[in-house]
Amino acid sequence: METTAKDRTEIESRKVSSGKRRLIGDRGSHFLKRMEGETGANIAACYQCERCTNACPVSFYMDVKPHQVIRFVQLGWREELLRSATIWVCLSCEMCTTYCPNEVAVAETILHLRSLAAQSTIAPREKQLAVFHQTFLDELQRFGRVNEAWLMAALNLKPGILKEKMRSGQLKTEIELGLTLWRKGKLKLLPKRCEAIKEIRDLYRNRQGDRS
Amino acid sequence: MKLAFYPGCSLEGMANDYARSILAVFNHLDITLVEIDDWSCCGATAAHSLSEKMAVVLPARNLAAAEIMGLDIVSPCANCFNRLLFSKAMIQKKIFDVPWTVTGSIQVHDMTRFLARPDMVERIEARVRKPLKGLKVVCYYGCQMVRPPRLTGFTDYENPMTLDRLATAAGAKVLDWSYKTTCCGASIGIGRRDIQESLTARLLEKARQTGAEAVVVSCPLCQVNLDLMQRDKASGHLPVFYFTELLRLAFEAENGSAEWFRMHIADPVPLLRAKDLLL
Ligand code: SF4
Ligand code: SF4
Repeated sequence: METTAKDRTEIESRKVSSGKRRLIGDRGSHFLKRMEGETGANIAACYQCERCTNACPVSFYMDVKPHQVIRFVQLGWREELLRSATIWVCLSCEMCTTYCPNEVAVAETILHLRSLAAQSTIAPREKQLAVFHQTFLDELQRFGRVNEAWLMAALNLKPGILKEKMRSGQLKTEIELGLTLWRKGKLKLLPKRCEAIKEIRDLYRNRQGDRS
Repeated sequence: MKLAFYPGCSLEGMANDYARSILAVFNHLDITLVEIDDWSCCGATAAHSLSEKMAVVLPARNLAAAEIMGLDIVSPCANCFNRLLFSKAMIQKKIFDVPWTVTGSIQVHDMTRFLARPDMVERIEARVRKPLKGLKVVCYYGCQMVRPPRLTGFTDYENPMTLDRLATAAGAKVLDWSYKTTCCGASIGIGRRDIQESLTARLLEKARQTGAEAVVVSCPLCQVNLDLMQRDKASGHLPVFYFTELLRLAFEAENGSAEWFRMHIADPVPLLRAKDLLL
């Protein structure tokens, strides 16, 4: 049987909200207002044309498609969004935002959800990606610059990462990639430290003070 | 002419060859690049993934340093370029407290766009000693350099031409293709290599179908991503050049050496020799 785009949206959104059919989230339009305020994206302007999803190079890998992300925000479905793989899989390639006829900042919305998820207690659906971003910032705090070899080493030392990579066989590929890079002289072992590293560490100390 | 140079972390590590070719090219063009003193990382994807504040303040330190130097910044990395511009725009909105003074007095240039200005192209053409005749390439821009257009200022974001113009100035034959700005997926290579490889493989396949013998890029992440994909011979062979490598080759043809390309995974030397562009 053929399903129309509309059916697809409904079926998928029902699946994501774990079988329960809810019209509006607990927080109602409160979440929408908050998201609009924090991202400056006019999320309410979306009319579900799906152009964002059609432009997205990785929508195939997303559980909540870009146009559904916007719809979910309108409905106040915060939890579903923070639990989704979408917010981690998104590449920030900005195809969606660029092609939205209503100038909805879709990519910025997804990114903001990602940072909300990182600050929440919800376990990220793509753990490795979440840990990777955190490791990157940790390395930046150590040196002021980021060295690729050290970044990878530090990532592997994070709890659970190496074990997961061994299980999935990813470790083998990674060693192979590392060796290729090494042979080509692309890995530099000695990281460079910024002289004014203290300035950067101070930033980290104040990072929670967010909006002025 | 003087510019503030913000190399970015990649150019100290994986893209060290890019850095060397840039310095050589600017030297030939009589433009002095002054590296921003004690620059720090822009935060890349990680900062804006986890904390919007960090995505604004991390690049700001470098903007402030360039303002003190009084020089416009030129950025070779698409991601750094995007992040610097983002920070500059957000500082003007005054949403976050920034510990450095950034007045917005200096410009941030993407390196390809700066060099593709008509006066610069003229300068380049005047310096070319051996045009890269017969080399068929496609130019790949990726996403961060052109999008979102309201930030990057690219008006031809669907069909950007900066790299095309530069590769043409170097004498190469630039082919038209539809994948100039399709994302290569570098940002999730760690964590979801499966997704990244499906995106990268498609780009290489399309480039080959177009009849290209090489790809020209300006982003260090795109380069290593497209290049690493070809680590085993079975996945084909399509060298991925930084545009400055081609310019340098055209500028100093007789001194060209295989040594310049030793960091490439898909080795371009046989191709260049076959075209009589390298000894
Ligand atoms: S392209 Fe814009 S209007 Fe259309 S579905 Fe996506 S966000 Fe909504
Ligand atoms: S920014 Fe994210 S959601 Fe938007 S098109 Fe790119 S990958 Fe898809």
